[in-house]
Amino acid sequence: MPEALVEQPRVRPRIRPRTRIRFGRVAAYLFVGSGALLMVLPFLAALFNSLKSHAQYIEVPPVILPDPPQWSNYSQVWDRAPFGTYALNSFVIATAATVGNVLSSAMVGHALARMRLPARGALLTAALGTLMLPTVVTIIPSFLMFREFGWLDTFLPLIVPFWLATPFGIFLMRQSFLAIPQDFQEAATLDGAGPWRIFTRIHLPLVKPALATLSVFTFMASWGAVLEPTVYLTSPDKLTLPLGVMGLRGQFVGNDQLVTAAALMSLVPILVLFVVAQRYFVRGAMSAGVKG
Amino acid sequence: MAGAPRKTLRTPRRAPRSDRPAHSARRVERRWAMLFATPYLAHLVLLTAWPVLALAYLGFTDYDTVSSPSWTGLDNYSRLLGDEAFWTSLLNTGYFALIFVPLQTVVALALAVALNQKLRFMPLLRGAYFVPVVSSWVVMAYVADAVFNPRLGSANAVLDWFGIDPLMWLDSPVLVIPTLALIAVWKGAGYMMVLFLAALQAIPQERYEAARVDGAGAWGRFRHITVPGVSGTTFLVLVLSTITTLQAFEQVFVMTGGGPGDASELTVLYMYRQGFEYFQMGYAAAIAWVLFAVILVLTLIQLRLQKRWVHYA
Repeated sequence: MPEALVEQPRVRPRIRPRTRIRFGRVAAYLFVGSGALLMVLPFLAALFNSLKSHAQYIEVPPVILPDPPQWSNYSQVWDRAPFGTYALNSFVIATAATVGNVLSSAMVGHALARMRLPARGALLTAALGTLMLPTVVTIIPSFLMFREFGWLDTFLPLIVPFWLATPFGIFLMRQSFLAIPQDFQEAATLDGAGPWRIFTRIHLPLVKPALATLSVFTFMASWGAVLEPTVYLTSPDKLTLPLGVMGLRGQFVGNDQLVTAAALMSLVPILVLFVVAQRYFVRGAMSAGVKG
Repeated sequence: MAGAPRKTLRTPRRAPRSDRPAHSARRVERRWAMLFATPYLAHLVLLTAWPVLALAYLGFTDYDTVSSPSWTGLDNYSRLLGDEAFWTSLLNTGYFALIFVPLQTVVALALAVALNQKLRFMPLLRGAYFVPVVSSWVVMAYVADAVFNPRLGSANAVLDWFGIDPLMWLDSPVLVIPTLALIAVWKGAGYMMVLFLAALQAIPQERYEAARVDGAGAWGRFRHITVPGVSGTTFLVLVLSTITTLQAFEQVFVMTGGGPGDASELTVLYMYRQGFEYFQMGYAAAIAWVLFAVILVLTLIQLRLQKRWVHYA
């Protein structure tokens, strides 16, 4: 019965639009497909570059395929720079930042969406305001503050701010918590669950896509950051991957095929993380864009 | 009898306010809420209020980071007015934004409309657009070099097929900003596309059906249903892109260093140099203040204009 009701109005205008839709679909495939190729082919070109010998790399006109592929480029990078140390530093910083941001943003977002928080509206407006105050603008006073704390040349200035919740994280988590029906919370309250229990046992498991999205975004931001590590880190053994790769530029002058290899290696972990989390990731990113 | 227990279960939603246990429960909950919000309160104090106040103060001082700041009144700001390099950087930033913001918005919307159809291999295709999004600017610099290197890149090889002379791209004072903007769109469009995708899926299908019955063509449907339907998201994308542009530090820092000459010297890069290379923190603070003012004014203008063209369903 209900099916018939839905079907009926569709039947009438179908005859012409049907061919049109199919036509549109081919066009969409062409557009989306060529766009996707444009997005990804340069990465393939960079990969080929990273496998060329120096002589081949600077050949004009450029050759496309490395012949034979110089896999040793990659081991050379490992040998010439403490790449393992850089990777470990990046990993420690990005993981600590991600855990902190997900935890704190979820708590603040939950308070804003689901708890009787005094001055809730004002806090929400403040969060909107901080979105307009990007890190670049505040880097000077932040630098002076962390210097006062004695935190220069440590990982702390790169981690602690994430433990204080980010505006983006707060918005994302607030949206997701708002979407949960009120009934769960009420039922749990009747069963005697306190606010902490409701948060950890009932609401958090329901916003896993948003948690995954925020994790990937935070990890990504921390992993690829250039400005903050440049400002805060100085000792060679404390540098992160992006700084390490940039430093290789000076070491391998003219040998950009080696630096390209280093850059691509730094992409691998984040790419793996993205592929693993993609299912949640796109959905969560979408929910961030919907206004609530 | 069967209905009775249900009713007692429902009542707490409107429990009497004066009820003692409920009252104390509410106080406990409020205390928990404050506890939950503590990280952000700390954020507001340490990472918002302090920087803003410190910037306001430092902007009126001369501060080399070693000796304590000395009050110089409006000197920094009058110096800014006459600083040609600063004005060049502001113009460069504006030029970059003028290309980047509209281009990214249009590309992202077009991609979203195309990807909104039920295509096969969707996750794979969508994933492809996200590869540049997850790449850091250091990675993007080398990947972009494979394309835009004037001697070795594939862009000039493609131009050559069509008999067009090679371009200098990032090494050309004229092309450097458009090329940077193009690369920024390449990196950013995938994310904005997802935001549009969400908005598209929220538009009720019946509207399209109705328009079709009324004889509207594909363009007409796009113009009169899709565009107003996603206008709220368009606004969000415009605001986000503008803010991104003004802090496009990492891209120029890694890819051009502001060159060739000062052709891609953006204001954030100029501020960074003043503060962390020449250690003129007072002057850099004044520049940061101007940047913040520009972001604020642009956001307010966008908020004001929003009423004219954004339709909330």
